[in-house]
This record gives sequence, C-alpha cells and structure tokens, in this order.
Amino acid sequence: MTFRQARWDEPAVWDLGPSDAGEAPPAVPGVPERMRRKVAVRWPELSELTVVRHYTRLSQMNFGIDTSTYPLGSCTMKYNPKVSEMLARRPGAASQHPYQPEATTQGTLEILYRLERILSKVTGLPEISLQPAAGAHGEYAAMLMVRAYFRDRGESAQRTEVLLPDTAHGTNPASAAMAGYSTREIPDKDGCVDLAALKAAVSSKTACFMLTNPNTAGLFESDILEIAETVHGAGGMLYYDGANLNAILGITNPGRMGFDVAHLNLHKTFATPHGGGGPGAGVLAAGDKLAPYLPVPRVVKQGRKFRLDFDRPKSIGKIRTGYGSFGLDLRAYAFALSHGEEGLKHVAQRSVLNSNYAALRLGKFLPRPFRTLVKHEFVLSGAPLKERGLRTLDLAKRLLDEGVHAPTVYFPTMVEESIMVELPETESKRDIDHYVDAFQRAVSDTPENLHAAPRNLAVRRVDEVRAAREPLLSWKDLRAAAAKAETP
Amino acid sequence: MARWISNEPGEETALLEALGIASVDELFADVPKKARVGRLGIGAGRDELGVVAEIDKLLGRNRPYSQFATFLGGRLAPRFAPAAVDSIVSRSELYTAYTPYQAEASQGMLRSLFEFQSLWVELTGLDIANASLYDGATAAGEALLLCRRIHEGDRFLIPASLPWEEKSVLRNYASGPNLRIEEIPYDDRTGRLDLDFVRKAVAAKDVFGLLADVPNGFGHVDEGVLELKSILGSIPFVVSADPLSLTVLEPPGNYGADVVVGEGQGFGISPSYGGPLLGLFACRKEHVRASPGRIVGATLDADGQRAFCLTLVTREQHIRRSRATSNICTNESLMALAFVVYASVVGPRGLAQLQNSLAEKARTLATALGAIDGIKSPRFDAPYLGEFAIEVSKGTAAQFLDRLRRRKILGGHPLADPRPGTPGQPERILVAATEFVGEKEIQKYARAAQAAIAAAGGSA
Repeated sequence: MTFRQARWDEPAVWDLGPSDAGEAPPAVPGVPERMRRKVAVRWPELSELTVVRHYTRLSQMNFGIDTSTYPLGSCTMKYNPKVSEMLARRPGAASQHPYQPEATTQGTLEILYRLERILSKVTGLPEISLQPAAGAHGEYAAMLMVRAYFRDRGESAQRTEVLLPDTAHGTNPASAAMAGYSTREIPDKDGCVDLAALKAAVSSKTACFMLTNPNTAGLFESDILEIAETVHGAGGMLYYDGANLNAILGITNPGRMGFDVAHLNLHKTFATPHGGGGPGAGVLAAGDKLAPYLPVPRVVKQGRKFRLDFDRPKSIGKIRTGYGSFGLDLRAYAFALSHGEEGLKHVAQRSVLNSNYAALRLGKFLPRPFRTLVKHEFVLSGAPLKERGLRTLDLAKRLLDEGVHAPTVYFPTMVEESIMVELPETESKRDIDHYVDAFQRAVSDTPENLHAAPRNLAVRRVDEVRAAREPLLSWKDLRAAAAKAETP
Repeated sequence: MARWISNEPGEETALLEALGIASVDELFADVPKKARVGRLGIGAGRDELGVVAEIDKLLGRNRPYSQFATFLGGRLAPRFAPAAVDSIVSRSELYTAYTPYQAEASQGMLRSLFEFQSLWVELTGLDIANASLYDGATAAGEALLLCRRIHEGDRFLIPASLPWEEKSVLRNYASGPNLRIEEIPYDDRTGRLDLDFVRKAVAAKDVFGLLADVPNGFGHVDEGVLELKSILGSIPFVVSADPLSLTVLEPPGNYGADVVVGEGQGFGISPSYGGPLLGLFACRKEHVRASPGRIVGATLDADGQRAFCLTLVTREQHIRRSRATSNICTNESLMALAFVVYASVVGPRGLAQLQNSLAEKARTLATALGAIDGIKSPRFDAPYLGEFAIEVSKGTAAQFLDRLRRRKILGGHPLADPRPGTPGQPERILVAATEFVGEKEIQKYARAAQAAIAAAGGSA
C-alpha cells in the first residue's frame, strides 16, 4: 500500500478571516427602508489567494476519475475528455444567453440540432428534446408525457399504474409517483424480469412499464421483444431508462427493442463530467405516439436556418428554464463527433469486454449471483464476508485505502450485500488488473484492518449514523452546537 | 478517432484470450437477432484537431453577448466572474467525481457543499439548505410539493407577473398530484401583488401554499411581501429570490418565508445558453425531513475529527423509492461550488456594491428610456434593483428588440409567453443592467430606442 491522500487541517471558509457582521450594507436608493437588509451577510472578506488555497486544499481531499479508477456501477465513470472542457469555455459557447435572438445563436442551435439527430439514430426514436437537467428529470418529464397522452385518449382515469422491475433505479418509482402514478414492482427471476409475473401484472390499468436494459444487475433482458409485446398488448407504454446505454451503443437501441420513450444520461454515456454530484444532462427521446408531448421549445431547421419552435399544442410545456444545458450538450456533441459510428460501437464493445474480464477475475473472490455473461457492469455478493464478521461496507472502505474508488454498494437491493462494478471503455487492462489486485488485497486482509479502514484518507471512517441522528446542516448549526457545548 | 478508448498494444487480444473467446461479438449473444441494429449513419469519427475545427466553425456562427452592449437578464444574468472561480471549478479532483457516496474519499466536495449550504442559509435567513436542485424554476416546483406535504389544500398561489417559463414548470409540478395553480393579479400601476385577492383566497381554506418572487418578474421590489405571512398564517410561504439582491434586501426568513428558492447562475456560472444552472433551496428546520434533494451534514470520523457526509438520506429516492420526497438524484454540485467560491472571492461587500452599481445603472437607463414618447419606462411605478420592465406602444417588443440588435444592442427580452395562442399579452420587455455596460452603452441604448420607436411609428 503506497497511497496517501492529502490531509489538510483546513479551517472552514468562515474561519479564514473576519466579516462585517453587525454592520448594515450600503442602502440602495429607492428601496423601501422596511425591505433593506439591516445586517450585512455574515461571510468573510478574504484575499483571492486565501480562497484559492482553501478550495485547492479541499480538492486534494477528493477522488475523481482523473485521480483513481472509479468503478461505480450504473454511473459509467468514464474519462471526461479535456477537449470538451476547453470547447465549452469558448466565448461562443459560454457567453450566450438563452434569450438572445435566434439570429445570434445559429451555431448553438445547429450544434443542438446535430446532437439531436445523432441521439435519434443512437436511440432509434425519431424525436429528441435536450431539456432535462438530469436522468431523473427526463424520467419525470416522460411520465408527464405518458399521462398527457392517455388524457388525450380519455384513458387517464383508467391507466393509473406504472410497473417496474425490482431491479429498477430508485428514481424510476419516485418519478412515476411525482407524475401522479401508483407503482408496482415486478419480481425478477435470476436477475431478469420474470415474464410470467409481468404478464400477470399488466392490465387495462397499466400506463407504463419502466425498464433499464441491460438492467442494473448488468444482464441483458433477452426477453425484451416479448416484454414489449406484453406491455403494448395491454395498451401500455414502454419506457427506457438510459442509464445503461453504454453497453448497447450501435448494437441495439430502445426503438428497435420496442420502447416508446427513453431518457439518456449524457453525463454517463457521452462523457460529460458529473461534477461531484452534478450537473447531469438528460435527454428525452420519443417515438411517434409521444413525440407531440415533448417539452417546448424544440429546435427545428428551416431551410438553412435554425430556430426554436414553441408551436406544439400538445406539449407538456416547460420542465426547466431555457432549452437545456448547452454547456454539457456541447461536450456530448464533441464526444459523439470524435467517436463517430465505429467509435460509438467500440465504446459498447470495449466496456462489455472490460466488464466480463473484471467479472471473471473478481468472481474468484466473491460469488456472482446470476449468469456469467454480463454487459457493461456486474454484481457480486459480499454475503460471505459476514462469516468473518464483515460487511460489504468494510470492503468498500478498505478499497479506498488502495487509492481506488469503491464500487456501488447495496444496490441492486435483491442481492444480499451487493457490490456493483462498472469499468468503462476508457479503463485499460492494466487499470483493471491493478483494481483486481487491490480488491484481492482488500478482501483477504484481516477483519481488524477492514473494520479500521480507511486509514490513508483525509478522514477515518465517517459516522453517518451520528450525522443523521444529530443533524448539523450548516455553519449556523455548528455555531449553535458550539455555544451549547460551552454553556455548562 | 478518439484516443479515449483504452488502446494499449495487445490488450484487447489479451482480454479476449482471458475470457476464452475469439471475438467480442460472443459477448452480445444474449441480444436477440431481431433487436440488433445495422449501421446508424452517424459518420466516421474525427481526431481531436478535427473536432476542435468543426466545433469552432459552428461556434463561429454565434454572436455571443460579449459582442453587443448587453441588457439581457431575467433569472439568468450575463455576469463577470473572477478567473479564480473557473480555476477552482476546473480542479479535476472535484469535477470528475460522482455524487459523494463514499464520504471518506469525497471530503473536498462535501466540505465545499456544506459551505455552500451555509452561505444560502446566511443569505436567506432560514435554517437549512440542500446541496442544490436543477435550477430556480424546478426549485420552485419542489417547494410547491414541500408545501403540500406540510399543509392541506389543493390550491397554490403564484404571482401573475411570474415569468412564463416558471409558471409552466410549476403547472407541471402541480399536475402530478392534481393540484391547482392560481395567479394573483397585480396592480396595473405598481405591479404590486393584490393582497386582497390573497386574503380572499386564504379565507376559502383550500390554499396549501403561496410563492412570491423578490424582485418580481418585472424587476420590482414589492413591499407587499412583508404582509404575506400575517395573511397566510400557518399556510406555507415560499419566496423565490435573486441571490445578489439578498446581499442588500431583508432576508426572507425574517419576514416569515418558510422556503426560499432561487436561481444561482449569476454567482460564478456562465449562462452557456441556459445551462448548467443552479437551483437554490432553503427551508425551516422543522420541515427538513419533508424537503427534497441531497443534504450534507457535519459529523465526526472514527478518530473524533470533524468530517462530512450526505445525510438524512431516508428522504431520498434510492432508499424511499416511490415514497421519496423527490425523484432528484443528480443535482448541480459543481455549480454550487462555483457559487460559494464566487461569493468568497468577491466577498459580501463586493456583492452588495455590485448590486448597488447595477441598480444605479438601471435607474439611469430607465429614466433615459422613460423620456421617449412611445415607451413606458419603467412600466410600473415601484422600486427596483438591477432590472425593470418597459412597455412599447409603437410596434411590437420583438420589432423593437430587433431594431436594437442591428445597432449591436441586446436590449432585453420580451416577457410574453412565446407559445402561440396565449391571449392578451402586452408588448413588455425586461431590461437588465449588467456589469458589461457603462454610461456610454446606456446612452447608446437610449438613442437606439428613440430611433426604433420612430421607425415603428413611421411604419404603423
């Protein structure tokens, strides 16, 4: 073990310098006295260097793709190309206001239009909107579209139920519920949708079945065509959660599999950076039935000009400010343009190759609950660790000590002590071998060392139970807690 | 073609050999033949130089606002950011990370988000803030849902002066649980909320929440918001506030707001044609468990040292699924980092001075435009900060703005809902003062406006 993370004893930003607390800020003429802030914002006045040093030090206490292999299953943590970062900062991209007249934004509109055409071909669905801010936002918008569609058909009172597999991402049921649907889970059989259970569950109440394919266990749902037939036979819509699209680029696509509507995550498949939690960038792709309901505006081409079209009477309207996150759409376009047809297919092939190789090797240490042929990710069970008084969590923390990130843990939930690994196409065989070695050292280390992990990071094991039991959610809370501690 | 797919000599062959297969196609044997696709028709890949050349060619067809005297505003602001902000946001330890599920490996981002939350708490006067939502409009939508969770009723009140995009977003959020949105009329002279309308609505006992914006959709600071809590009583009160304005205005928590949302783009984030943006959300402590979004909390590590982690996660979709307080997973963490770095570099004094300087420019411009026959400027007789609405009585708002554009001025944006068939919309424009304009540009705007009105009058 040679990894040591920086460990700065860095004060909070508000302890770095004095503030004007107590004084009133300058009055804005014309603003009524009663509306004026009486006490200046309590925040320090700092030199630029102090601020830069502070956040640079904090950054040194953080893992990113650029520092470490980051095999979070379902998150597709692939390399974020630097050229995209450079291009997104060009004044022609960054210094554009969404309310600028179309005559001044032709380049932007053309990039959006071209990206949409590419995504239409990738998804096999004709109409695209780039408005969603993230994947879950796209799911939610799609559920609103499904609802509007059934309302127009006079079936909204009847179709009140959204079905989803027990392997579904938590955002699926949450999005369906926000759109006013009740949800019902379909059990899995060996990690895939139990077709018989689905057939028994669909009815005239079914509005939609939400599915990820490959699913969150990393398995391709080979019954997909029959699943589509079943859902459509009951008059329902089939929704594609595109979180796992990386595995099937150029191999198959949602349209071909029979899906009516899909969301994609540009921050997964199309390599836009995830920013430590966000931004994401979502995509909505719709077939003919649901396309009229996509959010406005839509980007259209008229002759050689591009414009925003607001004339979509069936549209659900807006789901956020502006048309989309152009800063991210541009990065995704650079990714697609760079790879081209062959490259995108190679992305899928290599990610699946990496995944099967890693599964073969890691499967020597912990059991794999399902069939061995996987797609871009796979699941292990940490259940045997319990014999040594350990949990998957301990293994995850011990892996961090090796300077690599932990896999996704405790999801999907139908696997005991589950561990979900995804090693995208940008990881080399050497990276994977290094990860496997680290995993082997971690899994075979003593229970004492696993319980004590991590030791090599900026902090030791973080007490998350305490954080939830005694919430300290801001500086204000910390001040109050400190004051309370001082009062005898 | 991209170098981004790993391509070390012999490695793919070695991977195939380890798996005992001859071709990668064997790994797709589980994809039914009938579901396979042929060529997509996307075209061949390009090397990096080719990608840069192509995208620069396309971006060259844009005319960024930096090439104009710009008066665009609304919820998004062209705003200067010190280079230090982008320098920090470009730290790849932060921007290439995922959501900090493994707290120990993510203290940098978690600490930054905790500082961001603390800053939004300070600005709003509320108790807790989350680690960000998508944008100001979706934050307002989530606030609506929070209100319904903590109060009975099926009617939510919003100002009729709210920007059309936000109204549309709010109608979508309300549609899931079958809630009604009702618009509060405003006084035609002052643009102020009709408080009597609110009183009557509240008396009907079916209102579960109200949202007011500060400054409002016309740019005005409406003192009426100070009365709202006493009218609403126990009904939740949401304020949508511009963060810069909160450096000089009373924190909404002090006049009874239960939730404060806002759009944070102006703090260190380039507009980038509308995204990524930053949704700001704060609420009272007693409502935290009903609130949406990721929250960072302070705790201790195994050595008893200060540490940070995501907390109160049982509210969230990955645990609670269909009963979660929101479906949000990915948020705008990196933008939240930009927000707190911007505020820390500029400092509270600098921010208040910036707001004052914008207000001063706005006044100069509003007065100059008001002297023109055919423009009512400002349209409403009420105090404002950095932006205000005007109304043109000759020609349309679009024609007016187009004439300005030809003189290299982006004169603001029309307030009308652009969707066809929206009835009875006046020819109003929201005009914003920005840091990029000075006395010279303001006088240029006034002259061009005069000419535009003259041209419209002539053609009418």
